[in-house]
Amino acid sequence: MQASLPSSQGYAARKRLQPWLTNGAMIVIIALLMLPIALTLSTSFKRERDVLRKPPVLVPCDGPDGRFSLSECRFDIEGYERVIAPRSNPNSLLGFSLTGRMFSTYVPNTLLYAFASSALVFVFSGLAGYAFSRYRFCGRRALMVAILAITGIPLLTNLLALYQMAVDLRKAGIPGYDERMFIIAVYVGFQLPFSVWIVKGFFDTIPRELEEAAFIDGCTPIGALWRIVVPLAMPGLLAAFLLCFVNVWNEFIAGYLLITKRDLRTVMFGMYDFLSQNIINYQVVAAACVLIAAPVVILFLFTRKTFFQALTEGAIKG
Amino acid sequence: MATQAQAANTTTRTTSRRIRQGSFFNQTLPFWLLLPTLLIIAAIQFYPGFYSIWLSFQERQGAVWNFVGLRNFERMFGSAAFRESVGHTAVFLIGYIVVTMAASLIIALLLNRKLKLGGVYISLIFIPWVIADVIAGLVFGLLVVPDYGLLSPILSNPTLFPPNGLSIPSDPAPRPWIQGFPFPPAPAMYYLILATSWRALPFVTLLILAALKTVPQEIVESARMDGASGAQVLRFITLPLILPTLVVALFNLMLGGMNGIGLVFTLTRGGPGTATEVLSFLLYTIGFGRLEFGRAAALSVFIAAINLALIMLTLRVSRTEERVA
Amino acid sequence: MSNQPLIPKRIAALLATFAALSLLAAACAPAAPAAPAAPAEQPAAPAQPAAPAEQPAAPTSEVKDFITWYQYDEKNEDPKSDERVGNEYLRKTIPLFNEAFKGKWRWVNQPQPFDKMATSLVAAVQAGGEVPDLMQASDASIIPFIKNGTVQDLTDWIKAQPWFADLDPSAVAACTGPDGRIYCVPVAMTPQIVFAWKDYFPDGYPKTPEEFKQAAEALKAKGVAAITYFGSTAFDGEGTPRFTNTLIKSFGGTFDDGQGNMKLNTPENVAAIEFLREIIAAGYVHPRTWDGTTTPFIEEEPMKTAEAASFPTGIFGYRYVNPLKAPSGKEYNKGNEEDMLDAITAGDVIIAPFFAPAGKKPGCGTGVTGFVIPTGAKNVEAAYDYINWVMSKEQNPDWVLGPGGGFPALRSMLPEIEARAPVAKAFYEQAAAAVAASECRPWYGTLERRDEAKKIIQSVVYKLTKEDPTADIAATLKAAEEEYNKGN
Repeated sequence: MQASLPSSQGYAARKRLQPWLTNGAMIVIIALLMLPIALTLSTSFKRERDVLRKPPVLVPCDGPDGRFSLSECRFDIEGYERVIAPRSNPNSLLGFSLTGRMFSTYVPNTLLYAFASSALVFVFSGLAGYAFSRYRFCGRRALMVAILAITGIPLLTNLLALYQMAVDLRKAGIPGYDERMFIIAVYVGFQLPFSVWIVKGFFDTIPRELEEAAFIDGCTPIGALWRIVVPLAMPGLLAAFLLCFVNVWNEFIAGYLLITKRDLRTVMFGMYDFLSQNIINYQVVAAACVLIAAPVVILFLFTRKTFFQALTEGAIKG
Repeated sequence: MATQAQAANTTTRTTSRRIRQGSFFNQTLPFWLLLPTLLIIAAIQFYPGFYSIWLSFQERQGAVWNFVGLRNFERMFGSAAFRESVGHTAVFLIGYIVVTMAASLIIALLLNRKLKLGGVYISLIFIPWVIADVIAGLVFGLLVVPDYGLLSPILSNPTLFPPNGLSIPSDPAPRPWIQGFPFPPAPAMYYLILATSWRALPFVTLLILAALKTVPQEIVESARMDGASGAQVLRFITLPLILPTLVVALFNLMLGGMNGIGLVFTLTRGGPGTATEVLSFLLYTIGFGRLEFGRAAALSVFIAAINLALIMLTLRVSRTEERVA
Repeated sequence: MSNQPLIPKRIAALLATFAALSLLAAACAPAAPAAPAAPAEQPAAPAQPAAPAEQPAAPTSEVKDFITWYQYDEKNEDPKSDERVGNEYLRKTIPLFNEAFKGKWRWVNQPQPFDKMATSLVAAVQAGGEVPDLMQASDASIIPFIKNGTVQDLTDWIKAQPWFADLDPSAVAACTGPDGRIYCVPVAMTPQIVFAWKDYFPDGYPKTPEEFKQAAEALKAKGVAAITYFGSTAFDGEGTPRFTNTLIKSFGGTFDDGQGNMKLNTPENVAAIEFLREIIAAGYVHPRTWDGTTTPFIEEEPMKTAEAASFPTGIFGYRYVNPLKAPSGKEYNKGNEEDMLDAITAGDVIIAPFFAPAGKKPGCGTGVTGFVIPTGAKNVEAAYDYINWVMSKEQNPDWVLGPGGGFPALRSMLPEIEARAPVAKAFYEQAAAAVAASECRPWYGTLERRDEAKKIIQSVVYKLTKEDPTADIAATLKAAEEEYNKGN
C-alpha cells in the first residue's frame, strides 16, 4: 500500500489488481481469525487417546505408520456424549433424558434468564426510547447523557455492592425474592442503558407525522405508540432484544458470584467448572465450548444485519 | 411515595408541546414511560455505586461492619500487589489497544474497498465477538496446554523460540527494563492480549468501517488522481476524518480492557506468578477469594473512578451533547 | 442546539437526581434498600402461597431435609471427572443414610466448586438465608469463618460425644480457634508426604538434599525429572501448603515469628530457596511444575506417567493421581483411588518423608478435613446425627478413604479401615512411617490471614526461583514479609 507509485497511471493499474489482492488478504485474515475455532472443533471430535498424544495431531487421521489417510480418520463424539450424558429414560418424552448438568440445568436456566431479561429490556427500552425521542421535558438531555455514561460502567465494580445487596435483600426477607429475580434484575440493569440508546435512535427515524395523524384520529399517545410506532421500530427493539440475549448468555462473573444454588447456575459457570473437572480431557472441554457457543453464533449469523445496525448506531454515540 | 409524585412534577414541568390537553396521566406521560428504566438503573447501577463507596470505609468484624476510615485505601494502595497489578494493567491495556486498533484499522480499510464478498467477510470476522470471553479463554488455553495443545509443537520448538522454546503457561517475564514496571511482559501476557484482541477486534472493525463509509469518496478519488499515494490519503484525508470514531473506539477498548475478567479467569488466572494479575483479577481475588470486602471495595472505587474519567472523556470527544438533541 | 460542552455539570445534576432516587428507594425499605428491583419481583408472587402450605403438615411424621455442601456432586456420573472418587462416594452413601434415618431425615447434597465453597458459605450465613446444615471443610478456612461468624461453636456438643476421646489431639487442635473453642469436627487428617516411583529410587527416597541431587543427576541421564510439585501461584497460592511449606520447614525454616507476624527472611529459608534454585537450574524439576495456572493440577501428570520420579503433595493426592503408568510400563488404570493404593501395595510407588539437611527433621504440613455446622443451620439435629453416623465404625472408613483422603482422625479406626480395604494397608503403613519421621504441623503457624499469606509466600518463592533466579533472596523475602505485616 505504502509503496505505490505517485503517478495516476500506476494508480489506475493498481486499481485493476486491487480486488484480487484485497480478497486474498481478507481470506488470509479470516483464516487466521477462524483458526482457534477450527482447532477447537477438531479437538472436540477426537477420542481421548488422540487428544493425549505427544506431539499432538491436528486431525486424527494418521495410520500406524504416521501417514495421513482419510480412511484412518478416527472422529468420534465421545466428548459430546460426556457433556450431554444422555441416559435412557422410558418416562421421558424422547425415551432418554440428558443427565449432563450442562443440559439438564445450566442451559435451561440461562435460557430463562436471557429471555426474561431481554423481554424486560425490550419493553423498558421501548418505553424510555419513545419518551426520549418524542417528548421535550426538563432534564431530558442531561438524563440521556447520564444514561449514555452509565453504558460505560462495568458490572465488575458494582459486583461487590450487588453481592452485599443480594445478601441484605435476603436478610430482609423481601417477599418473593430469590436469586433468579435478582440476577435477572441485574442483567436488565446492565443491558438497559445501551438498549435505550439504540431504540431511541430507531424511533428518531420514524416520522412524527404518522403519530400526529393517529392523534387526529383519536388515538391516545399509548395507543399511537403501540399501533404505529412499535411496529415501525421493530427492528430496533429486536436489536435491543438480541443484543441483550447474547450478552446475558455470555455473561460469566455476575452469574458466578451472585448465584450459589446449583440449580440456578448459568452456562458460563458450567464452562468454568468444566475446566477443573476435566484436567486433561480436552475433547470434553472443547465439545462443551462448541455446544455452548454454537447457539449464539447461529443466532448471530441469522440476524447479523440487525446486530451491525444496532452496534454502529449505539456505539458511535457511546 | 409523595416524593415520587414531586419528582414526577419536576420532570414534566414542561410537558410535551404537542400533547397539552388530556388527563394527568397523559400530561405526565414521559415520566411514566421512563419510570421503569430509571428505577432499574437507580437500583442496579447507582445504588451499588454508592454502596461500594460506603463499603470502602468499612471492615467486617463478626456480624457487623465497623467504620475504619481510610484504612482500606491505605492498605490497598500501599500494597505491592496493587502496585504490581497497576503495572500489569498498563502493559495489558497498551498492548491490547495497539494490537486491536492496528488490526481493526487494516481490516476495515480492506473491507472498505467494496468487495463483492464484503458481507460474508464481515459476518465471519464477527464470530469471535459473539463467543463468550470464558469460552474464548478456554479455547485459547487448550491450544497452548504443554505437550497436548495443538500449538505446543510450534511453541516448544527451540529454533523458533530460542533457547528452550516457549511455554505460555509457565515462562516468566524477562528482567524488566525499568525497575518496577513489568515490561517486557511474560509470554502469557502477550497471549492474553492476543486472545482479548481476538474478541474485541470485530466490534472495532465494524465501528471504523462505519466511519470509513462516511468519508466522501470524491475527495479520496480526486486526491489519488492528483497523485497522492495511498499512504498519503490515509494520513491526510481518511484518518483525520475518522479520528473521532477512533477515539471513541479507543476509550471503549480501555473500558472493556480495564474491566474484563472472564478471559483472565479461564486463560491465565493471573499467572504465571503474578504476571497477568490485572486490577480486575486482583479485585476478584481480594473481594471474593479472601472475602475482604472493605479492601476490595476500596479497589473497586478506584477502578470505578478511572472508568468514570474515561467515560467523561469519551462523551466529550464524541460530542455527545450535540447528538442528543 | 448549543455546542457548549456542559457535560460535567449536567452529569453532576444527574448524579444528584439518581442519588435522590436511590435514597428514596432506601427510605421505602430501610432494611433492604434495593426496593426498586420491584418490577422484577412481581412474577415471583406465586411463591408466596406455597410457603404456608408446607407448614400444616404434621411435624412429627414429616421427613425433614438435611442439606449438605460438598465439593462433590453425586449426580455427576462422568467416570473421568476429576472428582470421580468423591462423587462416587456420595452416590453410594446418600441412599444408605436416607435408609438409616428413614422417616426422619432426607439428605440433600448441594455441590459447590471447591475454590468457592468458603466464600459462598460466608455469604449465605450473612444473608441469613439458605445455609446448609453441614459443610465439608478443612481447617484452612476456620479463621475466616470465625471472623465472619459463619460457623457454630461445637465445643460443648463434640466433647459430649463418645468418640471425642478417640480423636487425635492434633486434629482437635487444628479445629480449635484462637479463643480455644472447637469450630469443626475433624474426620480425616491430611499430612503432606512424598509419592515416589520405587524403580527410580532403588535405594529408597533420598534423605538429604545431597542424596537427592545425586539421585536426580542419575535420573536426568535417563531423561526423567526427579521431582514435580505444585509450583504455580494458581488458586491464590495453593502451592504454599502443598509444597513450599514442606520444603521450607524441612530446611528448618519458618513462615511466622510465633506472634502472628510473617517472618520469611531467615538463613534457613534462604538456604531452602537457594537449594530450589539449584535443582531447577540443574534440570531436576519437571517443567509441568509451573503450568498449573492455565491447566489446574497439571503438575500431577508427569507423576502419573512416570516422567517425574517423585511428587510431594498432600496425602489426599492418591485420590487424584490416577490412572498410573509405572516406569516398568505396568499400568494401573481403574481410574479411581485404588490405582495408587494398588501401586503402593505392589511396591511400584513408595511413600516417603521429604528430605532434610543433616540434623534437621523433614517438615510436613498437616491439615484436617471434616465438617462445620454453619450459623443459622435449620436442621442442626440432622447434622449431629449425620456426624455421629460418619463417626461410626461402619461409615467412617468409607468417608476417610473417599472424601477425607487421609488418616482417620479417630485413632481406633485405622485397623478398621485396613480390614475393610486391605489394599490400603501398605499405604497407611508407609504414610504413618513417613509422618512419624517428619515434624508435622499446620503450615500457617500463628498467621491469621492465611489466604493472603499463602499467596504472598507462593508468589515470592515463584519469583525467586522461576522468574528471577538472580534476585537477592534475603531482600525479596524481607519485602514480602513486610507486605503482609503491614496489614497486622
